[in-house]
Amino acid sequence: MKSPFLLLIAVLLSSITGAEAQGPRIEPPPGTLPAPGSLPPTTLGTPGDPGNLPPSVPMAPSVPELIVDFSQPRVSITSAFQGENILLFGMFDPPGEVVVVVAGPAARETVMRKERFLGLWLNTGRQAFDDVPAYYAIAASQPLQRLLARGAGGEILSLEDRLSSVKPVSPRPPAELTQFRGGLVDVKRQEGLYPAAIGQVTVQAGRLFRAELPFPSRLPEGVYDVRTYLLRDGKIVAAVSRPLPVGKVGFSAQLAGWSQHQGPLYGLGAIAMALLAGWLGGLIMRRL
Amino acid sequence: MEIYLPIAEQSMNILILLGLGAAAGLLAGMFGVGGGFLATPLLIFVGIPPAVAVASQANQVIANSISSLQVQWRRGNVDLRMGLVLLLGGMIGSSAGVSLFTYLKRIGQIDFVIAVLYVVMLSTIGLLMMYESLSTYIRRRRNPEAPRGKLHTHYLVHGLPFKLRFYKSKLYISALLPVALGFVIGILSAILGVGGGFVLVPAMIYLLGMPTTVVIGTSNFQILFVAANVTFLQAATNGTVDVVLALLLILGGVVGAPIGARIAAKLPGAVLRAMMAALILAVAIQLLVELLRTPVSAFSLGTREFLQ
Repeated sequence: MKSPFLLLIAVLLSSITGAEAQGPRIEPPPGTLPAPGSLPPTTLGTPGDPGNLPPSVPMAPSVPELIVDFSQPRVSITSAFQGENILLFGMFDPPGEVVVVVAGPAARETVMRKERFLGLWLNTGRQAFDDVPAYYAIAASQPLQRLLARGAGGEILSLEDRLSSVKPVSPRPPAELTQFRGGLVDVKRQEGLYPAAIGQVTVQAGRLFRAELPFPSRLPEGVYDVRTYLLRDGKIVAAVSRPLPVGKVGFSAQLAGWSQHQGPLYGLGAIAMALLAGWLGGLIMRRL
Repeated sequence: MEIYLPIAEQSMNILILLGLGAAAGLLAGMFGVGGGFLATPLLIFVGIPPAVAVASQANQVIANSISSLQVQWRRGNVDLRMGLVLLLGGMIGSSAGVSLFTYLKRIGQIDFVIAVLYVVMLSTIGLLMMYESLSTYIRRRRNPEAPRGKLHTHYLVHGLPFKLRFYKSKLYISALLPVALGFVIGILSAILGVGGGFVLVPAMIYLLGMPTTVVIGTSNFQILFVAANVTFLQAATNGTVDVVLALLLILGGVVGAPIGARIAAKLPGAVLRAMMAALILAVAIQLLVELLRTPVSAFSLGTREFLQ
């Protein structure tokens, strides 16, 4: 399914190319990802070309300052899924800097701490936190600290700021809470869910931008919120929030759905599968 | 070549999983036990969450025991009456075991309990087998004509009430004993994802005094139904049965089992048992090291909960 936004761009494009056979200079971003179902990257330059803007937006009442889209409308976890990089791209009205914040769905996470007990390592402490994002990544066109230092904080949160707001479910001394929070970040980082380095938003031709969003193989499902901010002199002048659904599709989705919603039926199916496979396997191997 | 496991929620190399299944099948073919007691720890070593490894392994055990039961049934090597009495205990034990599993998972101790139980069980069995096979080997070398020792001894347990006659096993013993045995195997099966044949078979021979001819078939009969019960309950209560994972293990096992059987036919029994004992001990030591070694990160995450 194409998003309405992709359709809009397509309509815009066709109107442009129809009106002007000698199209404007098209500037493809170098090294683009050839993602299935993505728009050809070369078409990106067209709506943003200076001399061309007024006729290109006959349907829109005003030119948006910030346009954002993805190389894929969703992250599909198929049987062959091994993690995926999604390309975020768009256009902005210069001057300015672009910051992208991706947050997975928030949930309660329980952090467990191991301690040595009679020589063995076992979980002795546990602390639950509410409102923990499943995934959190930031990309910026300039070092984030520099951008935020000029006053855009509050709305744009670094991972540390975002996590300092997660609420402990049960009380505990602050020093220990900090430890558990640190543990949470470590584990999530190892799983690639809180990418450590702040990603790079690459700006092309002064107004086109692109950023790669890395998603690991062990990716929690849900609707991810991708927010793109346009900053000018340290202030947010435009922001676009776009949902990015992450979910299993096809065979994986079916199985996971059955397992989750129809546990008993799934169990019977699993038994039948094993009986059939074992019986057939035995039969075949005895013939050989 | 990677495949995404929908319930384990991660991708894993297909060849690793097929290889694991084949290794377990090889053992099954060589020693006549399920091989689950090795496959489950190995699955955990390669990074499958323990809860999923155990539940999916129970699913694999079904396939393993049905293909072995087919043969034994046709040869008339199943004591149905004994099987049903064992199964009575097995069903209660495995149901209780899955409840215990669910509870341990909730309080975050399931991984630890699985590891400790494996260490205790594997090292006990490994040492016993090693001792038995080595002493047999030494005795045989000294005196090849040595008697094999009595298979059927009368113990105190024969004085218990509810005596039943088991014609095929040529036994007249209290039903309480096989019920209790089935119960223990049921709990092991639920928590560790094993069929339990490697405990059940020696217990049937030495504890119940059953003739060896009917032991394998009867234990397979009990294991089949207990594994099915565990699979059903794990799927219904915990949702941790990964059929894709189980199917890959089964496919590997189908290939591995006949190869194991062929190897077993060429080696003397004592050597075979010593090899298996060494293997079991190696896994036990590896698990123990994991428990003793300072972990890379002291922290881990439990299950995510969405609050509506």
